[in-house]
Amino acid sequence: MTMKCQNARILMSAAVDGELSLKEEHDFFMHLSKCIECKNEFEDAKKTKMIVKERIVQFKAPQSLINSIMELTSVSNIEYEDTLLHE
Amino acid sequence: MDKPDPSRNIKTRTKKESLSKEEHQKQLEFQKEAVVHLNSLYNYALHLTMNPDDAEDLVQETYLKAYRFFNSFERGTNCKAWLFKILKNNYINRFHKNSKEPGKVDYDLIKDFYHSIKDVQNDTSEAESDYFHSLLHEEVYQALQSLPEEFREVIQLCDIEGFTYEEIANMVESPIGTVRSRLYRGRKLLREQLEEYAKKYGFNTDKDQ
Repeated sequence: MTMKCQNARILMSAAVDGELSLKEEHDFFMHLSKCIECKNEFEDAKKTKMIVKERIVQFKAPQSLINSIMELTSVSNIEYEDTLLHE
Repeated sequence: MDKPDPSRNIKTRTKKESLSKEEHQKQLEFQKEAVVHLNSLYNYALHLTMNPDDAEDLVQETYLKAYRFFNSFERGTNCKAWLFKILKNNYINRFHKNSKEPGKVDYDLIKDFYHSIKDVQNDTSEAESDYFHSLLHEEVYQALQSLPEEFREVIQLCDIEGFTYEEIANMVESPIGTVRSRLYRGRKLLREQLEEYAKKYGFNTDKDQ
């Protein structure tokens, strides 16, 4: 039985994120090989994910915050501060 | 004699106070498991509150709570996901009354937010010709913020923080199928928003590559 576009759309995000089961993956990509519309939509979704991943800036936690969290776990925190800063 | 008061803020303990071996172990484990996620938590808090001071408070509160209840953390599971959930709950308790309407974006707030934080990564790929690569992080951020919260949230947790669907489902307290469909619809909406920006720059969005 071949997959319909409607079913492919249900699996679309999970396909982008590598969250499909083997069976789902097989059926999904089978459908994509025959349906250009779903293929394009899949490529768009992948691209959108990439943009978010690449473009959203990750800020560093301010030193004051690092210090106060360190106080929580004050034993041998020096090596820990190092790993945090180099993360 | 003073009895230990569990409700007392952990922060108030002095370093000189001697710790039991157990407590010492707990601290070491907490550092290894939980404190390493400080930057991620701070960013999540920033995205939720849009305010560096509130974000700092929220993260602090989260770690206090996490430390206090560290025994209930299920060993072997994702500690980052556990911390995110605590932070989200704290956020709802503290800020939800003033939350903005879904889909309503305060662009000035976002601008101020970006400019109030100086430690921004430098953008090295401005010269890219692909129109999506010409988008600035501020614009992508605005586009993301313009999405209804239920969509924005799953995109953040999935694409920025890299959680699995199972972890996200647990965090947003919805079935995995709901996570799937929110991600699908959210990405579609986001794509439309980004294309609006692209049009503004005069890129032809019909022609990919």
